Parts: sequence; structure tokens; C-alpha cells
Amino acid sequence: MKNIEFKSISAQRIYNDYLKRVERTISILSEEDKLDMLMEINSHIYEAMQQGSNENEIDKLLTTTEKLGLPEVFLVPVVAEKKLIQAVHTFNPKHVWQALKLNISNGFGYIILSILYLGLWVFGFLIFTKLIAPSKTGLFYMNNEFKGFGFVSNGDQMNEIFGFWFVPIAMAAAVIFYVLITLLLGLLKSK
Amino acid sequence: MTNEFVHKWSSQLKKGTLSFIVLNVLKDAEYYGYELIEKIKHDTKIEIAEGTFYPLMNRLKKEELVASNWVEQASGIPRKYYQLTEHGEATLVEMKDYWISMSETIQKLF
Repeated sequence: MKNIEFKSISAQRIYNDYLKRVERTISILSEEDKLDMLMEINSHIYEAMQQGSNENEIDKLLTTTEKLGLPEVFLVPVVAEKKLIQAVHTFNPKHVWQALKLNISNGFGYIILSILYLGLWVFGFLIFTKLIAPSKTGLFYMNNEFKGFGFVSNGDQMNEIFGFWFVPIAMAAAVIFYVLITLLLGLLKSK
Repeated sequence: MTNEFVHKWSSQLKKGTLSFIVLNVLKDAEYYGYELIEKIKHDTKIEIAEGTFYPLMNRLKKEELVASNWVEQASGIPRKYYQLTEHGEATLVEMKDYWISMSETIQKLF
């Protein structure tokens, strides 16, 4: 991409800084989408700078960037949307997490999704702890009273119900959560 | 506009109709981003929040209502031209019908 050249060093610095902020905001997009959005903003600034005549270069640039707004604010819908598509297609935990973070403000569906996603990780974690600390992980009862589920620090002093069946049960729960997340992601995307 | 409620209502209305306005403007000619913003401002007197325009165009493109292509310029800084797609044209006809019928319905209430 060809950058705009300004006569004034200060204008050049303001422009460079603005583009850097745009780049930072859209850094999670694919290289192709990133370049497309950067070129679009660059073109907008260039065209705006060509308008009018004698206005000071810095003033004109500041007016243009002010009218565009803060990249961290106005570009969020693009980033959130693109990230969601990426998450649905790849189901890469990194993309899913970023999509959830960006879309959480969009509604209740994403809150449910976040809880399911957390649940998925919790079951994954519990399978791991069951293997390294079997007596402290599971469903615990003491004197016929429910005492806890998951990783319990004093679990070895209580009765654990599932034994090593806990591992397949947690695996099944994780699979159910995974399916629910995939379905919900698809549903939210098509909304 | 002195009434705060009317002010909020009108800005919501403008925001809600922006995609309809963009599609209407694009039905006659293709425009690049900055030019399209200026055209809308000039024709409708609506002050578009310029930053929000690009995410909107992105959404319209995703919905396949508009298409775009980069056109090289002598300056070395290309322009991205937007055009209405066939699907966009059909959608615009539907939107227009709905707009007319809604406006008639509301006018009956006056």
C-alpha cells in the first residue's frame, strides 16, 4: 500500500499514528482483510485531503480523522463480524475466544455462549485433574449429603461417586458443550 | 432541534435508514467510499458518522447487496468503487415497497 506523503512533519506523524491505530485494531483479521480495510481508510484520508484548497494541512487531516472517529471504536463491528466467521469456520479456541470477547456486547446469546465455552474448558481441566489427583476430583458426598463437584481440595476425606467413570462422563459433557457451542455460533452468525 | 427526545429519535431513524439510502444512491451509479459519503450528505443533508460508514459497506457486501473493486489512480492511491448487485437491486425494490406502505400507514394516523 502506498502511504500518503505530507509536507508537514507533524501531519505525517499524525497520519502515521492514525494508520498504526487502524492496523492495531484490525490486527486479528486475515492479511487480505487487513490490507483491504487499511487501503480503504488510506483512500478516504487521501480523498478528503484533496478537497478544499488553502486550509492548513494539519487542520484538514485532523478534521478528517476526527470525522472518521476513533479506529478502536468505529472498526469494532467489522472486526467482531469477521472474527465470528473465522471462529465458526475453524473452531480454533483462539478465534472463538476473541469472537466471544468482541461480540459479548451484542446480546444474550453470546453470554450463554461464553458460559458454555467456559464449561467446555472446565470439563477439560477436570479430566486432567482426575488423572493427576483422582481422590480430589469428582462428585463428592459425605453423610449422604452433596458436598461438591469438580476439584475439591479436601475431596480425599469424602466419598467420590464416579471413580474413574468421571473421565468418560466429563468427556461426554465436553462433547455436548462443544456441539452446543457450534450450533449456537452458527445460529448467532446467521442472525 | 430543541427537544432531546425528537433529536434521539431522528438520529435513530437516520441510522436505521442509512443502508436504504446507500442502496438508493448506488442504483444510478457507482461511487467510491469518500464520494458516496459526500453524495449522501449533499442529497439528504444527513451528517453521516464517517467511521460507521465503512463497517456498513462491509455488511452490505457480506449480504451480497453491493460489490466492490479497486481502481488504480494516477496518485498511486486506488479508489474502492461500490456497485449495486442484482440481489441488491431486488432488495431495494422490496425495501421501497415496504417504505411506501409504511409511510402511508403512518400518514393515516396523522
